[in-house]
Amino acid sequence: MPLIRFTNLFAERIGGVNSVDVRATTVESALRALTDRHPNLTTLVWAKDGALNPVMVLFLNDRQLGVAEIGTSVGPGDEIDIVSALEGG
Amino acid sequence: MRTSFNGSSSDPRAVAYARATINLASRDVRIEDVPCRNLEDVLGGFGRSFQILAERTITHAFTPDNPLIVNTGVLTASNVMTGLRTYFSAYSPLKVSNKGLPAAMWSAGSCKFGPKLKWTGLDEVILEGRAEVPVYLVIRHSEQGPQIAFEPADDLLGLTCHEKIMWLRDRYADAHFAVIGPAGEHYEDCYIASVALSTENQLRSGDDKCRWAGRGGMGAVMGYKRLLAIVAQAPDRIAKLKPEIRDINKAASTGPGSRKFREKDKGGLGGTWSNYEPLEKFHFVPQNNFRPAGDGKPELMFRDHVQPEFVVKAESCFRCGINCHKNVYEKNADGTRGAFLAKFDYEPVNLLSTNLGIHDPRKAATLISMVDRLGMDNISLGTTISYVMDYNERHPDAPILNGATFGDFDKARELVEGAATGRFPKVGRGVKRLSESLGETGYAMHCKGLEFPAYQPDTNPGYPWAIAGGHMSMATYMALALEGNTSLDYWAKLITERGLYFVRDDLLGLCKFAGITGDHVVEGLKHESGFEMTPAELLAAVRRAFVRALWLERKQGYDRSDYTLPSEVFDRPNPNLGVPPFVTREFFSQLSDRVWAVFDREIDEMAKA
Repeated sequence: MPLIRFTNLFAERIGGVNSVDVRATTVESALRALTDRHPNLTTLVWAKDGALNPVMVLFLNDRQLGVAEIGTSVGPGDEIDIVSALEGG
Repeated sequence: MRTSFNGSSSDPRAVAYARATINLASRDVRIEDVPCRNLEDVLGGFGRSFQILAERTITHAFTPDNPLIVNTGVLTASNVMTGLRTYFSAYSPLKVSNKGLPAAMWSAGSCKFGPKLKWTGLDEVILEGRAEVPVYLVIRHSEQGPQIAFEPADDLLGLTCHEKIMWLRDRYADAHFAVIGPAGEHYEDCYIASVALSTENQLRSGDDKCRWAGRGGMGAVMGYKRLLAIVAQAPDRIAKLKPEIRDINKAASTGPGSRKFREKDKGGLGGTWSNYEPLEKFHFVPQNNFRPAGDGKPELMFRDHVQPEFVVKAESCFRCGINCHKNVYEKNADGTRGAFLAKFDYEPVNLLSTNLGIHDPRKAATLISMVDRLGMDNISLGTTISYVMDYNERHPDAPILNGATFGDFDKARELVEGAATGRFPKVGRGVKRLSESLGETGYAMHCKGLEFPAYQPDTNPGYPWAIAGGHMSMATYMALALEGNTSLDYWAKLITERGLYFVRDDLLGLCKFAGITGDHVVEGLKHESGFEMTPAELLAAVRRAFVRALWLERKQGYDRSDYTLPSEVFDRPNPNLGVPPFVTREFFSQLSDRVWAVFDREIDEMAKA
């Protein structure tokens, strides 16, 4: 099962959990599985039109994915990071 | 921090911290172990300092009774990565209630001063009174305990922050430094003065690369006290790295929490400077005093646009693997790195370029570097200058100060220098006072006296509940771009249930950029100090500290009239923003009712206790 990791922005909405294992075969289906399990995360992950939130950036095993690569296949041991492109400082 | 367990490793009262109380007038010094009263005392930072400030009755920031508290967090100087924070807390000259009373404030800075202070044997220094003549303090480690000496500061007077640090570096080995610049020396005319902290990179390279406790005028309080610098001199006391801490650090330096701040070739997104791109998708990048035009000009400051002309090198604080500093250097003809110009973060870049109508990275670097050398908060200064320019655009026949208008770099530079040297006190005292003196407050971009960071107030109705600067003490500034939710229910919950916890690391001694998880904080604390608590207890302590800060605001005269936004947010909605305006007076009034229904109850309970 791929592992989805995320920041405290996500974790604070689901009881402090910072990563979730999901059953999925693509990055997109992994993210769908994440938000199915944790609906609180839906508006962070998905835009209103159902596409990936344009402020979010995906990494698969440390490689940044382009928007068009959301259909990339994943399997056991893969790590997907979803992070906000917007943080202050 | 000394821990003496009396049968429990989770009892705050079993913990004591080392404090020096230094009277700058009488030169009396008292060093003592202070027992903790609660978990906030154990954690440190503003969680502890605000309890001390709450015991004082202060009606003016520039009085001997207003202490300047220099302290650390429980994880400062630990092996947990980014455990480097030093906190400066006092009643602020800048953050004031409409009744004119100063508010409690803290400002945090990174790098090695905090650890060095701890390695002298102290967790906290309370600076009382006011020196008769300019001095600097030397705090040294010794086998007999911390030693404190007062030194005449005549040779430091008038030097820039960087020059002061270089002067001290040449005289004190194995030390780090906290200094004020010319702005702090002109504290009466410059409430936005900051405190500069030396960095390892700076001491080694000789480049002007300080870190900053910038917000709230802590440098002005230090200047009032005629304290020009603090030297913390001690050998490094780095404990052997435990495997558990190594794992935490690995997660912090390679995990999702710090990706935003790492370089792209290190699996990151390039630092805060890269906020330009996602914000500009919505036309949320402030332009011309927080009035985005939707004209694409912010793109001129995108990193990808700027980088070819310069060398941008990612550098770091002491022992930090994130490398969030995006330092901009001249590019030599052969492509190699030339002279250091400035550190580019989103806030200073935006507020000293795009938001002033200046779209030239070289000019931005000049202004950022000037503000740093002179020792001011670039957020407060940039936002005040943008107000001046806005006023002058609106009053071409009766301009103020030097008549600066948007895009005028030379006059912006003149205002920067004049703010620090006392020539332009109207700028140095911040936008609240300036706008009130002119009778035009509607586009003065501040809340409670603290100027806004580079996020639009019309996208963030949470600003009024930030307790120590609009973005780093209330995590609502990016919410509209993130989720696009404009419902009352969403915003009330965001402010009262999530946004406030952004101040967690302002107790602990950690940097927010590490994005360390709650579980890792608790685990790190256990392994580094022996103190045990649960993530829930940690969050409860953070919440108490936050609510205590609101209670302190109430004590200093804050009422509903202080918790609002500039009136033009309501009265002059900007059609260029990428979302329909939603922060109407009616919306904000209802939001206030919802938020205060939660916080008032907790403040009342705290006051009773």
